[in-house]
Amino acid sequence: MDAIPKRSNATERRGGVQIGSPKSRPHTESAIRPEKVIIRASGFSLFYGEKMGVSDITMEIEAGSVTAIIGPSGCGKSTFLRSINRMNDLIPRTRAEGLLAVGGQDVYDKRTNLVNLRRQVGMVFQRPNPFAKSIYDNISYGPRLQGIRSRTKLNAIVQQCLEDAALWEEVKEDLHKSALALSGGQQQRLCIARTLANKPKVILMDEPCSALDPLATARIEDLIAALKGTYTIVIVTHNMQQAARVSDRTAFFCLGKLIEYDLTDKLFTNPSEKSTEDYITGRFG
Amino acid sequence: MKKRSDHSMQTDAAAGFSRPLRLSAGQDLRGYLTGRAARTLLFITAFVSVAAVLLIFVFVVREAVPFFKSTDAAASLSRLKEFLTRTQWFPEHEAHPEYGVLAIIVGSLYVTVVSLLIAVPIGLLAAVFLSDIASFKVRQICKPVIEILAAIPSVAYGVFAVMVAAPWLQKHLGFTTGTNALNASLILSIMALPTILSVAEDSLSAVGRDIRQASYGLGATRAETMIRVVIPAAGSGILAAVILGMMRAIGETMVVWMASGNAAQIPSPWWDLSQSVRTMTATIAGELGEVPKGTTHYHSLFAIGFLLLIFTFTLNLISESFLSRVKRRQR
Amino acid sequence: MSVRIRQVWDRLFTVLCSGSVGLLIAVLLLFLVPMIVKGGKAVFFRQTVEFRKMQRDLFGRGDLDSLHEAIARTGQARQEVLARIEQFGRGIDTKLLSDEAKDAYRKYGLELRYREVSREEYSRLRAAAKDIRDNFLAALDSTEEAAANRFLDQVDLHRDSPEFQATAVETFFTLSKQYRRILDEMDLAHREEYAAELDIVKTELRNLLGPLPGESTPPLPQDRFGATRWDVAKKHLHYLLYQTKWVPGDSGDGRLVKKEIRRDDPEAGLFAGTELAPLFSMMEKNLERMLEPEWTVYGRYFLDDSTSGHYFGGVGPEILGTLVLTVLSMCFAVPLGVLSAAYLVEYAGDNIAVRVIRTCINTLAGVPSIVYGLFGLAFFVLIVGRPCILSASLTLALLALPVIIRASEEAIRAVPQSYKEASMALGSGKFRTFLTVTLPAAGPGILTGLILSLSRAAGETAPILFAGAVALGPIPDLGLKFRWLFQPTRALSYGCYDITVGDRLAMRVPHNQFGMVFTLILLVLCLNIAAILIRSRMSKKLQGM
Repeated sequence: MDAIPKRSNATERRGGVQIGSPKSRPHTESAIRPEKVIIRASGFSLFYGEKMGVSDITMEIEAGSVTAIIGPSGCGKSTFLRSINRMNDLIPRTRAEGLLAVGGQDVYDKRTNLVNLRRQVGMVFQRPNPFAKSIYDNISYGPRLQGIRSRTKLNAIVQQCLEDAALWEEVKEDLHKSALALSGGQQQRLCIARTLANKPKVILMDEPCSALDPLATARIEDLIAALKGTYTIVIVTHNMQQAARVSDRTAFFCLGKLIEYDLTDKLFTNPSEKSTEDYITGRFG
Repeated sequence: MKKRSDHSMQTDAAAGFSRPLRLSAGQDLRGYLTGRAARTLLFITAFVSVAAVLLIFVFVVREAVPFFKSTDAAASLSRLKEFLTRTQWFPEHEAHPEYGVLAIIVGSLYVTVVSLLIAVPIGLLAAVFLSDIASFKVRQICKPVIEILAAIPSVAYGVFAVMVAAPWLQKHLGFTTGTNALNASLILSIMALPTILSVAEDSLSAVGRDIRQASYGLGATRAETMIRVVIPAAGSGILAAVILGMMRAIGETMVVWMASGNAAQIPSPWWDLSQSVRTMTATIAGELGEVPKGTTHYHSLFAIGFLLLIFTFTLNLISESFLSRVKRRQR
Repeated sequence: MSVRIRQVWDRLFTVLCSGSVGLLIAVLLLFLVPMIVKGGKAVFFRQTVEFRKMQRDLFGRGDLDSLHEAIARTGQARQEVLARIEQFGRGIDTKLLSDEAKDAYRKYGLELRYREVSREEYSRLRAAAKDIRDNFLAALDSTEEAAANRFLDQVDLHRDSPEFQATAVETFFTLSKQYRRILDEMDLAHREEYAAELDIVKTELRNLLGPLPGESTPPLPQDRFGATRWDVAKKHLHYLLYQTKWVPGDSGDGRLVKKEIRRDDPEAGLFAGTELAPLFSMMEKNLERMLEPEWTVYGRYFLDDSTSGHYFGGVGPEILGTLVLTVLSMCFAVPLGVLSAAYLVEYAGDNIAVRVIRTCINTLAGVPSIVYGLFGLAFFVLIVGRPCILSASLTLALLALPVIIRASEEAIRAVPQSYKEASMALGSGKFRTFLTVTLPAAGPGILTGLILSLSRAAGETAPILFAGAVALGPIPDLGLKFRWLFQPTRALSYGCYDITVGDRLAMRVPHNQFGMVFTLILLVLCLNIAAILIRSRMSKKLQGM
């Protein structure tokens, strides 16, 4: 957490862009240097047909950090996460308003190339979802899509990614066995490794530990800590301890709105919003 | 707002990406074209079924029209009227061939209705058994039986009708011929049963547990629950089941050709099932192989085929509307 | 209504419901059991030596040496029966005797010509021989025993005259002796009846043992062999032993009833007391030795070609034709069906085009199969030029299309969304995701649909009636020149129809009639069971994942 410089006069440096509701403005030490901003939402809303998913989200996410999104179920945290690499497109009749930019480029622009976007903004899902292929084929799926055919290159990528995902030692003998034979935690690390193989800038994690036991969860959390810095990680979780453990900043969503967004320490120890406090102290959620 | 954020986005460039996120169609021509091509290809293949339906209608009509074509409209109309209202079917008569298709239509409807009279009650009761009475294990046993019943080719049923059922009927019921309306209807009902059963069972299951529990909670027995609540609630699905069974029966060819006796007559008295009848499908199957192409007889058979097509098309639309009603309720 | 009555109603309702399912199962058994039992006889049966002969002659199969041994063994057993029927046949069918008599006379004429005799002597002897011959023929012709014996006496007058010793005329005396013996046994008044019955006996003997000695080889293969199967042999043995007669019934009102009488029955049998009488008990006793029945599995039934009317042989060409037709039709229908389903699931939203497509698929599924036949004739046959494998399989493809689309749609829908998301999140395009992730995952489901529509296509008859199926035709050679695409073919489904209704000759071999249907049902059942197994394994996999 020390990696993020705390600034007292961040409002100026933000170039006049306002984030969050006016009430959250006093927490200025959470401000991010503009050149470090990788994801920027500004008045972003997403609708499923007539139903609102998230509305009027304004927040910035710092490159190389871990950002947690918490909130009661149905609050739109997953929806927001899935908007970042436009996975919501798979649901028919979705409609976006406002601005959501990744790396300074609006992802809901008509010209956005989904393939390039998703390659660089990878995603890990709630349930481990390896393909019914071998471990090797799972990892090499992305590189192969990019046209890498050379066996030696693929071998190197597979080994590198599995090592990065702390899975290599466990599976190096079984690379050509079905990925479905792995345990749940291993499968989830495999999914992370599969994402790494695309060399993304951002990894979105949608409750990656909700289907895992505590031990496997701990390993994933270790992995997240190890990946921090190289990758920008945005993690949605309903486990507040987890958010406190792994993240630098935390955003609290409720009923499709961003209620509070601040440094994790600050948010958990001294929330400025009443509802945030109610939620983290367990009064609802 | 937009302008401001554009400005701010310029400042985000530090987190630059190795690949551009935004590409115009021109810049990513290959990706754009493959995406388009895939979509177009899939659309075209999906459209093949539409084309097939159109082609079927066009070509059957094209071969049927010369039968009605005459010097003027009035003559054509009278030809049509004669075709639909007369019962004499003697297309091979040299001097005065007659093309009255009424007896054949009646024959088709006759065996269809009789077979439905047998198949609908049994199918409905069996559907109730499978959806509400049978345990999971029993259902697991019954399902393959029904699937196999549905899978047996119609010509095999036809052989059964001719070689096993007909001699039995002749011997034990004293019929003059074993190939008659009763034989054809019995076998047709066996063939229509799986269709009726599975569609009816689906719609009974779609009614849901709540409504059943409500009825049981008010002290109704299972029979009362089923008859008074569940079956009426599943009504449109059951009607669709009956119509689908009817389509199966009316469109069936081999069984009726082999088992119905093929006499173009309206049974009289009407309840006498031991008489031979002839259906539309059997007429086409039996005669088309022998008529020379382009003769009036040839075209008249296509006219019968067109009638058949209209019958089933109408029934199909009706059943579809019933089934969509069931689907809407499920949502 | 009291609670009790309501409960009784409830119980009755339950019984009715379970009863109808029981009825369904009973119907299935009632159908399958006779078809399989009777059809199985085409493959599992007791073959006879005639069957081995037939296999050798028509299919060039079987060990020749052991066959010859068997023929020799059975020949010994048959010898006496055949001799007896020949002997008896002479008496009934006097043509044989008269031919022999005429022959003897002609021979004697030749003998005389080469003997050194005077002209008068020659004329006298010749006239005497002619006299003997005429008397003998008159004896054969006469319908009264006394008259016949009188004529034979005339013949026998010359028996001791030295001038005929050691000449052809002596034949007449042996013939006369034979004929006297026949006259003793037989009632001449019933000669016609004997002749008719003897014809039947001979036919049945031919049916049992093949052509009788002295007869030329019949041109049609079905006449060339005796009973090739033991069940058929027993049937013919019954026809041989028993005569069906209409006799006054026991009721005494003069009504006639059908009654079977043994031909050698001492009281009522026609042949009782004649020289032929022992033949029947001999046949009954020794038939096994004459035919040497043994259990066999005629596995080549599924590969062999058949003789006309499926009298002998198997259903090989029909199976081949069905496989070619269905596999070819799947080649057309599967890509179309799977891609259509992909469009409907992955690409299409809920717009008017999709609704039209769906309605059309439903319509296609509901079009009667005979209308497909009409369409095949009016469209595909028109395009291809004539009824052939290509036009028939195109017609079948159209028929299978809606089935495949529906099955594939279901299978593609069943692929978990997370799979597709995983692939999408890795930056793969929609179509790429479909090809590399969705399609393999939906594979077993699509395969199930494919197998089911394959079985449906295999069983359909009406669509191919006019589009390329024939009862008799060339076997597709499947060469790379694809000429076979433009030939008509035999098919199991059409064969089933033809063999039961269309072919008179086939009606004489019910085991082959049922055998064909048995093969079709077996094929369809195997395909369906395979589909059920794949599906259950698939659901297990999904559960156990």
